[in-house]
Amino acid sequence: METLRLYVELIAVRMRSQMQYRTAFVVDTIGAALAIFIEFVTLALVLTRFGSIGGWTLGEVAFLYGLTESAFGTMDMIFSGFDPATFGAHIQRGTFDQFLLRPLGLPLQIFTSEFVSRRIGRIFNGVLIFAFALANTSIVWTLPKLLYLPIVYVSTVLFFGGLFVVGATICFWTVESIEVINIFTYGGTTMMSYPMHIYNEWMRRFFLFIVPSGLLIYYPALFFLDKPDPLGMPLFALFLAPVAGVGTLFAAFALWWYGVRHYTSTGT
Amino acid sequence: MYLALARLAFQRQLTYRAATLAGLATNAFFGLLRAYVLIALFGARENVAGYSVRDAITYTGLTQALIAYIAVWGWWDLIRSIRTGDVASDLARPIDFFGYWAAQDAGRASAQMLLRGLPLLILYALFYNITLPPTAWHWLALIASLACALFISFGWRFLYSLSAFWVQDAIGIGRAATMLTTFLSGFLMPVAFMPDWMIALMRLTPFPAMINTPIEIYLGHVREPDLLFALAEQLWWVVALVVVSRLVLAVGVRKLVIQGG
Repeated sequence: METLRLYVELIAVRMRSQMQYRTAFVVDTIGAALAIFIEFVTLALVLTRFGSIGGWTLGEVAFLYGLTESAFGTMDMIFSGFDPATFGAHIQRGTFDQFLLRPLGLPLQIFTSEFVSRRIGRIFNGVLIFAFALANTSIVWTLPKLLYLPIVYVSTVLFFGGLFVVGATICFWTVESIEVINIFTYGGTTMMSYPMHIYNEWMRRFFLFIVPSGLLIYYPALFFLDKPDPLGMPLFALFLAPVAGVGTLFAAFALWWYGVRHYTSTGT
Repeated sequence: MYLALARLAFQRQLTYRAATLAGLATNAFFGLLRAYVLIALFGARENVAGYSVRDAITYTGLTQALIAYIAVWGWWDLIRSIRTGDVASDLARPIDFFGYWAAQDAGRASAQMLLRGLPLLILYALFYNITLPPTAWHWLALIASLACALFISFGWRFLYSLSAFWVQDAIGIGRAATMLTTFLSGFLMPVAFMPDWMIALMRLTPFPAMINTPIEIYLGHVREPDLLFALAEQLWWVVALVVVSRLVLAVGVRKLVIQGG
């Protein structure tokens, strides 16, 4: 409880300081929203010529797009401190040592070390695309579906958070942030925004069994949209999102603590 | 003089080896994803708007290869130099300011083409049966077209960077300008796949001349007799952007107040 109070208070400080630069905040927020919006609009325009993609309509793809984007945007805000670029800078400059000296839980300090509130633009954009999806698909809403939707959303936030934590952990050894993690984070969001069966077999396997991103958006979407599984996974695959989300974050933090124990300062 | 500047900028790029490799891996992965999206869009169709599936896959490789060369995701060197005040000493040099930056950008771009553009296309050629330019004329036109594309892109980047003379948050403006580039240049999807009204709209802007034109020349979608016409159109955009950039620069320099030192 005390941790939660501290968290809220520290985040409020971060937000207040960002609001001092109101114009920059507004410009950046709109910018972040537009970047993905343009990609979606381009897809919509092209679909006027093609009709569908891998048998999915624009509305159905928007379901994947909107859910992925809003979850990633939320994670990008909450896990700002673990953003490999931000965290890598702490390792590089040696400021990570300060965190180790303070009498406060380490994760709490990292979580509150940065809070990029302009990510709200990306979340808003995701919600907008999701609303478009709801208007352009005929989902039959049942109680299980209504209950599962927030679970899928939270699980995806945790899953992406796990990727950021892994990216941050790598910095303990490489000192600087490595760009290759972008393949999993930004590449992951792009990949998850399209129906998974359009990719080839080794990619599907990789993104189901090694980095389980396919379990977070695509399989739950099959359940919400009442679509058959073209890949022939067992039925429970539709409901593995929370396992994949919590599991990824848990494994990521286990790795992170291992990194903390083996951390040697750059000495600068 | 300009050649020396270009060579220096070229060598500077060669030093960032790890970053180059990481950038190449990222470009290749996104290229792969985009190829799958296009293959899925085609489905059972053989040909859409003049593109075969093979052309479409090649298109994703070409656009990914051009990212670093054209600096699709933005370029902030000039904005930073204006903000820090370094611009004052550059303006005082006995060398044309526009040419000074253009030469450096040419060096930067050729290094990026060599380090990230060509290796990516070779990677594509290993994994896919990609399309190649059909005739020797197309090869020649492609080289000229790529040079024009770079200058159009540079003119545009130079122009939006000049906004730093007037506003604090020029990078925000630069980001918006960059988004306009990705949206209207045919970077995200081939221009030919757009609805007709959108194609007409895009053709009114210089953006397709940065990405779409060299690609259509490469794929042979511009027929031999039309090659000169395509290049003339690009050249017109080069001239237009250089003239406008220089005019805005002249106004901006008069306004210039260096913020401390």
